[in-house]
Amino acid sequence: MNNVKKKTVFYPFLEKPVEIYERENGHKIVFAYKKGELINISSWVKTGSINENDSNNGISHFLEHLMFKGTKKHKAGEFDRILEAKGAIVNAATWKDYTFYYVTISKGSSNKNFQEALELHADMMLNPVIPGNEIGEPFDINNPKIKEKRERHVVIEEIRMRKDQPWTKVYNLTNASMYQNHPYKRDVIGNEQIISTITREEVLDYYKTHYTPDNITTIIVGDLNPEEIVSEVIKEFDFKDRPNRAAEVFPIDIPADKTKYIEDYSKINTGFLMFGYLCSPAVDIKTSTIFEIISLILGSGQSSRMYQELIEKAKIPMFNIISSDYYHFKDGGNLFIQANFKPEYKNEAIEAIKNQITKICNEGISEKELKKAKKKLKTCFAENAETVSDIAETIGFYMTVCGKLECVEEYNEIIDKITTEDIKNTAEKYLNLNKAVIAVLMPDTYNK
Amino acid sequence: MNRYKLTNGIDVVIKNNKNTPRTAIVLYIKIEKDETKAGLYYLITQLLFQGTKNRTSAKLAEELDENAIDLLIEKKTDYIRVKLLGLNEDVEYALDILGDIIENSTFEDLEKEKIKIKGEFEADLDSAKIQAQDEYYRTIFENHPYGIGRKEIIKQIDTINKKDLVEAYNEIKYCFAKNISVAGDYDEEKLIKLLNKNLNFLKTEKMENKRKLVEELTENKLSVICKEDANQAQIFQGWLVPSVYSDEYASIIVLNTILGFSGLSSRLFMELREKQGLAYTVRSVYEPFKLKADFFVYIATEPKNIRTCLEGFEKEINKIVTELISDEELENAKNNAIGKRQFYKETNLLEASLNGYYEFLGLGFNFEEKLIDRMKNITKNDIIKAAEICFSKPNALCILAPEKYLKEAELL
Repeated sequence: MNNVKKKTVFYPFLEKPVEIYERENGHKIVFAYKKGELINISSWVKTGSINENDSNNGISHFLEHLMFKGTKKHKAGEFDRILEAKGAIVNAATWKDYTFYYVTISKGSSNKNFQEALELHADMMLNPVIPGNEIGEPFDINNPKIKEKRERHVVIEEIRMRKDQPWTKVYNLTNASMYQNHPYKRDVIGNEQIISTITREEVLDYYKTHYTPDNITTIIVGDLNPEEIVSEVIKEFDFKDRPNRAAEVFPIDIPADKTKYIEDYSKINTGFLMFGYLCSPAVDIKTSTIFEIISLILGSGQSSRMYQELIEKAKIPMFNIISSDYYHFKDGGNLFIQANFKPEYKNEAIEAIKNQITKICNEGISEKELKKAKKKLKTCFAENAETVSDIAETIGFYMTVCGKLECVEEYNEIIDKITTEDIKNTAEKYLNLNKAVIAVLMPDTYNK
Repeated sequence: MNRYKLTNGIDVVIKNNKNTPRTAIVLYIKIEKDETKAGLYYLITQLLFQGTKNRTSAKLAEELDENAIDLLIEKKTDYIRVKLLGLNEDVEYALDILGDIIENSTFEDLEKEKIKIKGEFEADLDSAKIQAQDEYYRTIFENHPYGIGRKEIIKQIDTINKKDLVEAYNEIKYCFAKNISVAGDYDEEKLIKLLNKNLNFLKTEKMENKRKLVEELTENKLSVICKEDANQAQIFQGWLVPSVYSDEYASIIVLNTILGFSGLSSRLFMELREKQGLAYTVRSVYEPFKLKADFFVYIATEPKNIRTCLEGFEKEINKIVTELISDEELENAKNNAIGKRQFYKETNLLEASLNGYYEFLGLGFNFEEKLIDRMKNITKNDIIKAAEICFSKPNALCILAPEKYLKEAELL
């Protein structure tokens, strides 16, 4: 393998180090050894809603659907049919920073299934036809007489589905207000108007711009011989002379300069609310880990502060559900607190959450809480090393969002070094109550 | 796989998976008597986290989280399942906590727990899909405990008192049959000692069957929910079908694969989603419970498409009942269904759950191998026979949508 650079990275709970190969054209291939019959093949593309604007919002996700619509060698549906006929799980997902495609399958005798899956996967990634008849003609979303329904309608149904999900609604309300300029402010799936009218040419252009060699990482996880499989991946991923393009850089957004409060209504019986904060870029592993710890202590599990204080020990049962989450993004992660509450206690519920945030900013956390969170984070690695698909997803995340897998190597050491002082300082710096975004979804009976 | 018997008579099966950092221990408790009040067993499973004679609820939560031990206690239609998962180094401690929870729970916070459950269920029911699915189960399993959903529990839970709880829990603890399944890299002899030490108080008594049988549907049933702001209609159409003990079990699994179980190549997916663009989610689901199974088709679609989707369902069901499938489609479906089963054992928790489930059903932990052999031998005629058995009887149809569209589809 001439002109291929190789390095290895230690990965907790795996038997062997992970191998990373970088080709001259920038295409990266990662191999992780995991004993067993199942293997996972995935390709991660560094594009998602981060590369979209107001007129093409949703194109990354729409393209993801259209990538399954055949190549010159394999017509639409063949990829799924052939692989599922061998018991494979085949799918893809789009998020803000990435789009990824995967196959999980038994490797088969003499790795036959692996070879076939790799050939199909690479063909799909490199040679999609995106036929016009599968996309369907652009149409007027307000015209009820449209008869011909193709993939545009499938995505529009996905958009409709999300509109009926209260948690998704409150998340979108929060997310849209957290950014002033950054593309992260848009919903990854886009909207019906754009999906019904976007043209095939726009989709193809988008593909050509972003599905370039240095924008793609192909990950193989399983009980395979890396020397053999890397050669096969190189052979199948023949980009020919496909050029790379300079990635667009977006200025990192600044948090809201004052608290933003958004309230909307729906035909529901309970209230949904979300607090959102802009945090640090994913590559800043230490600060991101601190936010993970804050999130764990605030609202993960039954021993978390908010669960104990606001549900278990509450004098008035205001909350039905409460938790927190930390989302990692390339240009700045998000800390969310989400709750479902009895709508008559809306103001009290918001105040109660504010008190919890104030407390962690002013008083920090105890050594005992820190120890508990550290153990949980380390155990997550054991959990994520149990299946070939979880291993691939973790590797894909680090390679694509953080830009390097070495972060994994440093992770445990970084965790060990985090102190209660670090937590307090970070909470004080980022979790300012005067700069929070608070979105609430209330029953429409409260809309007076 | 090795089999053991604890001193109290409980069977244990252990699958030793080398080099795995977390051990999974799963306890199945067979529900041998229908609950006297809706939500009683569910309430018990939740109250088990509310403190013991030795630990407050806060201390319990703290100890579990401090040691990154996952403990899940689920109430299912036919059993209560306790799933315990922790790093190998924490197994001894995890079992100590589990023993304390099951033996010494005090059920002190009954009223608080009822309020929590009602709140959580009300939040769930704000999802259109969950609301429709709840209604579907109520309709197809009418007058049977299998049909009791969130709505019914919200209605009845306040009638449950401490006496009901204690009586029911004593039966769960000292009468209902139990079995344990373990998967992980842990010394088996030591594990059996720990199980004997921590769970020895559990007993099993031979009980006469006190479970109500599921009544067959005598006519088609329709249930509609008007939800004016729904962006999609939620459509569930289901049949009562043979379950896990039936000769048709393997055939129905393959039939489900052909029709619409997961994946991107099933008939419903290809026809209603890929060709007609009617939905993002369309699938079929086969749920084999102990007393009976149901088989339903589901789609979420723009409300004006209700009639088209129902016709699409009918067309696909008729096709599979009347037309022999091709050799290629049969082979693909069998290989798909068999191949997918590897995912059911992918982690220690999944494997322990599956092995324990077969033990609970009395089929033996190696039933999976027998089932795969049966699937391999299925013929085209077996599929058509299974389809006839499944779809020749009345069905239950449940639809949630704005009133206008339900009327347009002549369902109101």
